[in-house]
Amino acid sequence: MMIEFIAGKYNYWMASVLMMIGFYAIISKHNLIKKIIGINIFQTSVFLFYISIAKISGGTAPIIWEEATKYDNPLPHVLILTAIVVSVSTTAVALALVIKIYKSFGSIEEDEIRSMSVEETANRAAK
Amino acid sequence: MKDDVIIKTITRIMLPFIQIFGLYVIAHGELGPGGGFQGGVIIGSSIILLALVWGSAEARDRFSQRFNDILNSVGALIYTGIGAVCVIFGGFFLEYGKLPFHSPEEGNHLGMFGIEIGVGITVAAVMATIFFEMSKKYDD
Repeated sequence: MMIEFIAGKYNYWMASVLMMIGFYAIISKHNLIKKIIGINIFQTSVFLFYISIAKISGGTAPIIWEEATKYDNPLPHVLILTAIVVSVSTTAVALALVIKIYKSFGSIEEDEIRSMSVEETANRAAK
Repeated sequence: MKDDVIIKTITRIMLPFIQIFGLYVIAHGELGPGGGFQGGVIIGSSIILLALVWGSAEARDRFSQRFNDILNSVGALIYTGIGAVCVIFGGFFLEYGKLPFHSPEEGNHLGMFGIEIGVGITVAAVMATIFFEMSKKYDD
């Protein structure tokens, strides 16, 4: 029963492991580009999860033809098609923000930027 | 804009109605047009209206940074939590019919409603976060 529960849902565990790798990159890395890579891994894990739960063993593409008896569920696939576009656009916005940050601070390390902006506000308050 | 009596009074009258309408859109999303995203954006826009009329500092007093950060995560936790409860009770991820209610139909209704509430909370909190973070530097 327990073995069946663990082995029968192996795509759940794979997606969870991939999601945690991405989450680790987001919260532990100081480099902003590495954070964006972490966000991308996180999103990819969600895509793989939704696509894998739509698969039926022996199922084919949802098109009517003679030999087809079972069809995969097309709804999560369409949902993830939209999510991939959203993912690409969030990556583009994040990279544009990182370029802006690099131009104004000369660094993409988060802790350096934070100490710089704290100094800046302190200077402005002193004036 | 901070001393404008008309804008302040109208905002004070409108805010509860905007938030009630957001809750209505979230609760109605299961059967009709609407849902967690739309209702969450309406509730988030009520907080943004508060910040526009009274200023970011006053809005942050009423909707604190800490509360906002907690809400960001709680919504996502409700969503994945309901999905995980379905897995524990022997279904697939988000298979509401397996939730421990009297019948699968009731599980479908309440599970979907719970998901909408989770999405709505996260979207409202994230809208407020984006607005406050973007307007931080230029406020003073």
